[in-house]
Amino acid sequence: MKHYKPTYFVGQAFAGIWRNGVMSFASIAVLMSCLVVLGSFALLVVNINANLDDLGLMNDIMVFLDYDMEEDAIVNVERQIKSIPGIGDVERITADEGMHSLMDKAGDNGSLYEPYLEDNPLSDSFRITYVDGSKLIDIEYNLNQIEGVRKINDQRDLALKVQSLKNGVMLIFSWFLIVLFIVSIFVIINTVKLSVYSRKTEIIIMRYVGATGLFISLPFIIEGAIIGLISSVIAYIVEYFLYGYIQSSLVNLAGIVRILPMSEVAPLVLIGFIGVGVVTGIIGSTISLSKYTRE
Amino acid sequence: MIEFKNVVKTYKNGTVALNGVNLHIDDGEFVFLVGQSGAGKTTIMKLLLREEKVTSGKIIVDGTDLSRLSSFRVPYYRRKLGVVFQDFRLFPKKTVYENVAFVMHAVGVPSKKIHKRVPALLKTVDLGDKASCKPDELSGGEQQRVALARALSNNPNIIIADEPTGNIDPKMSLEIMNLLVKINKLGKTVLVVTHEKSLVDYYQQRVITIDHGLVSEDRVGGMFE
Repeated sequence: MKHYKPTYFVGQAFAGIWRNGVMSFASIAVLMSCLVVLGSFALLVVNINANLDDLGLMNDIMVFLDYDMEEDAIVNVERQIKSIPGIGDVERITADEGMHSLMDKAGDNGSLYEPYLEDNPLSDSFRITYVDGSKLIDIEYNLNQIEGVRKINDQRDLALKVQSLKNGVMLIFSWFLIVLFIVSIFVIINTVKLSVYSRKTEIIIMRYVGATGLFISLPFIIEGAIIGLISSVIAYIVEYFLYGYIQSSLVNLAGIVRILPMSEVAPLVLIGFIGVGVVTGIIGSTISLSKYTRE
Repeated sequence: MIEFKNVVKTYKNGTVALNGVNLHIDDGEFVFLVGQSGAGKTTIMKLLLREEKVTSGKIIVDGTDLSRLSSFRVPYYRRKLGVVFQDFRLFPKKTVYENVAFVMHAVGVPSKKIHKRVPALLKTVDLGDKASCKPDELSGGEQQRVALARALSNNPNIIIADEPTGNIDPKMSLEIMNLLVKINKLGKTVLVVTHEKSLVDYYQQRVITIDHGLVSEDRVGGMFE
């Protein structure tokens, strides 16, 4: 291949894309759509993972006390909590503080809670940090034994729910990935087939004069790769704006759900898109060529 | 040298195209391969170009045993051959020069060598002044001469012409045949597949007749019977 000019192959590839404009456009549109769906699922999984990590780091247990407890009894409960092995920080949250916290989280709708400031339905509570997650069951058991403890909330249930949500998303994601991959490859196969068909005579002549399979195939393989590359770049731009839109829509959930900034996930998305796009293009081209380049 | 040793070719649908063909063509020979439609001429062409493999027997071309030739080596084998088709098979959007240069480029000939060789080839086929013309600006005979120049571009030892005069008028046919004779005199082996009796009879070269998948006649200075 030492006397072959790379510009020839790339030029032929672009000529092929141009010649079959409609099908090339269709291929790019389908592959781009597949990549956007793929990217959205991937970003969802990445964000779930990040939130799961956050939940793990918090190591928080909320302990809610009985209603209308005397101050002495509350202090007594605090003392007993602190004596349980594996407990770190213990922070008391009064019923009033709890209500104000709810109002703050509600933002503009916080005023809806104002009537409850007078007749607060909340009880006092403790936010407890544990130092060893493996002792969580023992800690919860000991907390339940304390008189005055009404309810215990830990983040483990939430973490398990999010984990199972993630597993579900991953399962759907995997099936989507397979189906979309097949669809994309199928469309690219047909596009490149058209390109190959329009150059059938040229290919026959090349074969008769002794051109190698690689020389004949390379322009078509590059054509597939270019379709994949263009699709990846467009998909990245679409994903960028889509993610930004979702991020701004979920701004109200700030504090509950953490959305990773685009700058943090952008390289992953771009590299992933280009990788998947180009590989899909090359696979599609190679399959469509096998019949025509057989010796 | 081209040698067929008891070559049998049966297609997948059961058609027996060749049924034990034996022939021997020496280097530098000029041979007409004739026969009725369906006699097996096209199959011989396909086997020589290694488009098809023999069912049994052996074909040796220029020292290469085609029955043992791996798919990977086929392109390199084909560089030993120059092929001319009845329908010319030129690239309509390329100029005469580009049509010839392209096949040299396809086998990796350096650009410098291509620039040197193409004008010489076009001169050989008397088309030195038509280098920048497109095929549709040429007559049938001229187009076939471009195809001949292209067949010669990689300096093959053997020229295979499949009905080279089938699409051109009688006067042009003579021109093409004269060119093939000229090429033969340069030391190339020339194998012309044809059914044009007048040409075969006129040139009085060796004639191999194929009938029902067998060599029915092989005469030097023969006629199309």
